[in-house]
Amino acid sequence: MLFVFIVVFCLAAPLWADHVAHTGPNQNHITDKVLVGGQLTDVVAPDGTPLGPGLRGRYLLGADQNGRDVMVRLMYGGRTSIYIGVLAAVITTLLAVTVGVLAGYYRGWIDSVLSRILDVVWAFPVLLLGIALGTTLALGGLRIGGIQIAGDSLWIPILIIGVVYVPYMARPIRGEVLALREKEFVEAAVAAGKGPLRIMIAELLPNIISTIIVFSALNIANNMLLESALSFLGAGVRPPNASWGTMIADGYQTIYTAPHLTIVPGLMIVLTVLSLNVFGDGLRDALDPRAQIRPGR
Amino acid sequence: MTNLRRAITILGITAITASGVTACGGTKSQTAGNSATAGKGADINVTMTSFPDYVDPQLSYTVEGWEVLWNTYVPLLTYRHQKGDPGTNVVPGLAKDMPEISPDGKTYKLTLRPNMKYSDGTPIKASDFTYAIKRLFKADSGGSVFYEDIVGATDFAEDKSDTISGIVADDASGDITITLDKPNGTFTNVLGLTFAAPVPPSTPIDKDATNNPPPSSGPFMISRVDAPNSLVMERNPQFKTVEDAGATEVTDAQVDKIIVTQNKNNSAQVTGVEQNTIDYMQSPPDADRLSEVKAKFSDRFRLENSINTYYFWMNNKTAPFNDVRVRQAINYAIDPEALNRVFGGRLHPTQQILPPGMPGYDEFKMYPGPNMDKAKQLLAEANPADKDITVWTDDEPDRKRIGEYYHDLLNELGFNAQLKVISGDVYFTTIGNTSTPDLDTGFADWFQDFPHPDDFFRPLLNGENILPTNNNNFSQVAIAANDTKMDELRTGQLTEEARKQYGELDKSYMEQAVWAPYGNEQFSTFVSERMNFDKVYYHLLFAHDYTSFALK
Repeated sequence: MLFVFIVVFCLAAPLWADHVAHTGPNQNHITDKVLVGGQLTDVVAPDGTPLGPGLRGRYLLGADQNGRDVMVRLMYGGRTSIYIGVLAAVITTLLAVTVGVLAGYYRGWIDSVLSRILDVVWAFPVLLLGIALGTTLALGGLRIGGIQIAGDSLWIPILIIGVVYVPYMARPIRGEVLALREKEFVEAAVAAGKGPLRIMIAELLPNIISTIIVFSALNIANNMLLESALSFLGAGVRPPNASWGTMIADGYQTIYTAPHLTIVPGLMIVLTVLSLNVFGDGLRDALDPRAQIRPGR
Repeated sequence: MTNLRRAITILGITAITASGVTACGGTKSQTAGNSATAGKGADINVTMTSFPDYVDPQLSYTVEGWEVLWNTYVPLLTYRHQKGDPGTNVVPGLAKDMPEISPDGKTYKLTLRPNMKYSDGTPIKASDFTYAIKRLFKADSGGSVFYEDIVGATDFAEDKSDTISGIVADDASGDITITLDKPNGTFTNVLGLTFAAPVPPSTPIDKDATNNPPPSSGPFMISRVDAPNSLVMERNPQFKTVEDAGATEVTDAQVDKIIVTQNKNNSAQVTGVEQNTIDYMQSPPDADRLSEVKAKFSDRFRLENSINTYYFWMNNKTAPFNDVRVRQAINYAIDPEALNRVFGGRLHPTQQILPPGMPGYDEFKMYPGPNMDKAKQLLAEANPADKDITVWTDDEPDRKRIGEYYHDLLNELGFNAQLKVISGDVYFTTIGNTSTPDLDTGFADWFQDFPHPDDFFRPLLNGENILPTNNNNFSQVAIAANDTKMDELRTGQLTEEARKQYGELDKSYMEQAVWAPYGNEQFSTFVSERMNFDKVYYHLLFAHDYTSFALK
């Protein structure tokens, strides 16, 4: 429920921006003034101090040093973080299922080759690999065949995060397929003359679907955490675009004078990740009865 | 219960991860030396938001680099170690006296002091000066532009000759004779820059020596470099040979060791100085901490006037900035007051190339504003076909913020701007490499190298000085008439008439709106309690003088 609420909150960003705050997430208002307590007040004071939070439509959570509305950036930032988290999870799932099922079903040299590739990716700490890829691709972007992705595109962190987590999902799937491969229903399918592709799609995939769903839900939470870390370190979402990670990166420089700029996006990350993890656990309990703890047994 | 326990566990892990995320960018905590070890013999900690571009006297061309290298590599001539205008006077360094200049202004004769040694014990020879000038050209230094008037320098740079015929150095007598193609009113000044500091021939001639800097001739030597994280400066054990040779204008160090560390977190640096774990921070405190520092630490903080210009460069060679109306529109649209607030009120608004305090400065404002209507009107007239723009800036907080401001402004004007924020220690080398793609526009600043207006025109705007690497003419400006005027003015002395004509040159460039200048920044001195605040001073050319660093 909490996650649904956060998603709705973030999806409402354009409504809030257009009808309440009257500004976009990247619009600067350094020399603008707003009414605070009946008095016109600088959004950013001549000494550079930004407006603090207050109960008003515009600048509900205050402004940052560029005079941008923190509330609007928080909502748009949430959209970005969730968008990256979900799309990266889709990429991870597609790649991991393909690799895991192929390796587990065929075994032999195909398994060896795919497993070694996963080992290579796994050998690098996720954050370091993400930083290395993020900083490299940020300058020149990425060209895949005829498709050019600009360095500041959200697809860069999506692809990076989607790839670095593949081994973490492909490994368990491969293990499960290896076990299922020996079951009678697979032998029966082979005996019935079904081809490998049909067996993988029609017989194996339905049996690992609960694992995939649970992993995907937990993966979204991990992706959002990694996106925040990469953006904080300057290797994820590129400025001036808002994400909760970039907001923490911008805010921690002013943590003494405007701690809310760091605390609020930090809290949003904690709540979202927490809700996704609880959701993932619930899914696992619902989809895999064997994993449930049954008191009294 | 199970879910609650899980939730608590997950919350705990997430909180730890979140704090870990924050810690990733935090400062490396340093403990300053014990204040009981006051005076000579102590170590001090210095932090910089950006590491020097090069730890190499012939290549370094940033404020951070010069601050470190000025007291490490001494040229034949140097600048007086004093604050304010007296510090802009050229005085003898490794040379015995000021140069003897021929009546036609083309020949400079100097003599190297005898019996001096580099920090590793190697004798300092007259031919080391020739070698340093050769390195400028072979290593593609951004400073080579100042020495192109030496006879044979261009041929040497273009591999047409193995020697620079205009420099004759006699190691036995120490005599050095430099012949120029034409008189050059700034040549004494440029001989005092670290670009021209002699280095031994063991230094690679065509490569950056950052990781293994040449031995020093100044009061400090670089004993360790871990670029771009830290470097250590220690007393030069051979500096006495330089002092004994009579180089009284080169002042000695007052501390034994200076540890320079890069720290990207300005706020952490401020806290470090406040709590005396950092002895000196090179960058001024960010806007959000400035008022607090001013109010609480007036006994160890002050603002310093500096001669510089902050501007947005625009690539005059490619669309859309190859149209003067587009460049003028940008000048109309920029709001210097907004940028002043980003800098916490430390920016004097400007709209011209020469800064206050520079000879030839004559205040004018050609594009009054901010005037978005006028800007949009000019853009409508120009109707540029290419509206995709890449905006470059570095990751120092105030520079990132002005990049974000500029990016938003360009989008508001109808462009499709993309912001590229790259690390401060590679920023200028990246935008100074003309093969870097998408060099459209971005942040830049310029601090005077020497008190002559030519320094604000020749390296930055002369068409001859669009270099493939270490380029400083970021706007790639080439206006033949102005280049000729610049050359003509440099042959003479800096008379009142010449100053006036430099003022006219400033206006001529701004009529073409080659840049969008917006401010002159004030710097600051902020030191720990154990530092002798009264002794520390800001030099108008080389920023803080590390030989003025002393403990109470």
